[in-house]
Amino acid sequence: MWLDTLLSGQLLFSALVTGSLYAIVAVGLNLVYGTMRLLNVAHGDLVMGGAYLAYWSLTLLGVPPLLSLWMIGLGGALIGLALYRSMFRRLLIASADPGRVEANSLLLFFGISILVQNTIAWFATPTPRAYLYLDDVYKLGDTAMTGNRIASLVTAAATCAGIWLYLRHHVVGLALRAVIDSPLAARIVGVNVEQVHRTSFVLGFASASVAGVLVSMMEQFSPFVGFPFSIAAFIVCILGGLGNIGAGFVAALFLGVIETYGIALTSLNWRSVLLYGVFVATLLAFPQGLFGRRVRS
Amino acid sequence: MTRRRDMIFAAAFAAALFAGSVAQAQSGPIRLGFSMSRTGFLAQAMPDQVNVYELWKEQVNARGGLVVAGGARRPIEFVDYDNQSKPDVSVRIYEKLITDDKVDLLLAPWGTPFHIAVAPILEKYKFPMVGNTAASVAVRQVKAGYIWFPTSAIPDRLGVELVALLKTQNVKTAVLLCNVLPFSKEIKTFLEPELKKAGIEIKLNTEYPPDVKDMTSMLTQVKQANPDAVLALAYPGDSVLYTKQAKELGIAAPFQFVAIGPSGSSYTAAVGKSANNIVTIGHWAPERSEWPGAKAFNDDYVKRFKDQPDYLNSALAWMSLEILEQAVAKVGLDKEKLREYISQTTFDTINGKVKFNGVENAITPTAFLQIQGDSPKLIWPPSIATSTFRPKKDW
Repeated sequence: MWLDTLLSGQLLFSALVTGSLYAIVAVGLNLVYGTMRLLNVAHGDLVMGGAYLAYWSLTLLGVPPLLSLWMIGLGGALIGLALYRSMFRRLLIASADPGRVEANSLLLFFGISILVQNTIAWFATPTPRAYLYLDDVYKLGDTAMTGNRIASLVTAAATCAGIWLYLRHHVVGLALRAVIDSPLAARIVGVNVEQVHRTSFVLGFASASVAGVLVSMMEQFSPFVGFPFSIAAFIVCILGGLGNIGAGFVAALFLGVIETYGIALTSLNWRSVLLYGVFVATLLAFPQGLFGRRVRS
Repeated sequence: MTRRRDMIFAAAFAAALFAGSVAQAQSGPIRLGFSMSRTGFLAQAMPDQVNVYELWKEQVNARGGLVVAGGARRPIEFVDYDNQSKPDVSVRIYEKLITDDKVDLLLAPWGTPFHIAVAPILEKYKFPMVGNTAASVAVRQVKAGYIWFPTSAIPDRLGVELVALLKTQNVKTAVLLCNVLPFSKEIKTFLEPELKKAGIEIKLNTEYPPDVKDMTSMLTQVKQANPDAVLALAYPGDSVLYTKQAKELGIAAPFQFVAIGPSGSSYTAAVGKSANNIVTIGHWAPERSEWPGAKAFNDDYVKRFKDQPDYLNSALAWMSLEILEQAVAKVGLDKEKLREYISQTTFDTINGKVKFNGVENAITPTAFLQIQGDSPKLIWPPSIATSTFRPKKDW
């Protein structure tokens, strides 16, 4: 019976949904940290903001989430651009020392996190919100799949693939990877580092907002749900190697598999032990993250 | 001569000021203090209770104020602070409300740990407060005197009554899924032996953490166990998760109990018609005609907030205000008289008669709701039921 459960498509589907959500949540954090060494602890609050925007788009304007996510992604990008121009560009220019940038950004984003949470709590009340969307269940063999979970999986995978292709083939994407690998060398060979920073903010904030739309389709949310997403994103980024975007996707899927199958073999009470246990064990064995060394070579 | 006249004038002026302030204190607004989790992880539970406080304040002031024994009506105003979801902060706030803000009356915070934490402060300053959203066998350890708990959803009583309800439905097998938070664990402590005593086989008995995000593996086991009853001792967030994923997997148990969450409208908003025929904790429903204020409270709440009240927490909050209002109308604002009156009197509330035996409500029966159609109905015990149990046939 155990083997049947482990080999069932149900667990595989669940692992893919969880892993893809981790991937889309983490990619934005990884971009912003990789290019600028900014520790965005408010990243989960962007996810939460995206969830609220999707909720209001549906309930107030009647726009379904799979349509509104384009506008919400664009809105997230504009917020990222505005924050970069108003705050973080100055921080990056003023602090040449990366350690100082990290510390200052941590404080700034922490402040933004509190501000965002409490503004939404004040404006929308802390009452948990949710809505029904694509909640029909489809069957593929013995595997049951709710429509919104399929939509989340497909959207997250497509967004991550889009970002991956952009980084692989677009000139700004290539420049972005160059800045992640070596900011100084990139500057010497004429990469427009400021444009790269701006792009990272735009992509990072847009992907987090889209992740929020996906979360809202599947889960109940309140103004205070963001922090666990920030933690999950940090775990994925560190597992994959901070700033290593492609490895981050693999790490996210790995974490989804560990979480789903690990729980099936033990119990739900072991979830945190499994996640953090794997995280600590991986860091002890591979201090640069699972794929850190290979990418650098 | 001039000096003596000045002194007389000054004394008269001081006396006039004192008399004015006394008159002001007796006719000015009554100040009610409380702390609420406006921020932090419990903030999402706050609106069910604080909305009720706001509604009551608006209605009382619209009537011209609160009736105080032996005097005219006086308007009410709130002095409230955010406790950041921390019981220790709440303790400091209640001490400040009593000693610094010098409020006339106190209203309860949200949740059992907060009630139990502030009880010693009430005892210390001999300041009575009617509690509401607290349910634990631990409340019986609280020294009787200055705090009371109107709920009948105490875990030991819940265990007995839930098994009695299961037996009427001929349930032979059950699975027990338990969030490891204190209230659900406490229910499990009392429910498990009752199930065994009744000969109901527990085919799966498992626990899960509060931050659970995916129940697929656990519910796959539930499906394989194919029980007559699923007893999910869940909190609001995981109530929604359970329902969504039980629907996905097609859990077919005819009796599905989800402990906390389904009594509020956010649950039905999140899961839609999947909520139909889910059984949950609750001892109030507006349809019961023997409780005359019940429907009016429900209608007023819906009109004011465009949302249903929580059938458990909002009802308890309103009951606590009704008790306080009736006591103040009878004995005024004197703390000792209030304590004595609340301890000894039978009150009329939207949940029927309430009388306290020590700290506990001795009249209201432990009961269960079932979502039927668009709202929860009382299905147990038969003495207050507004409908009968319906097996869950689909999602």
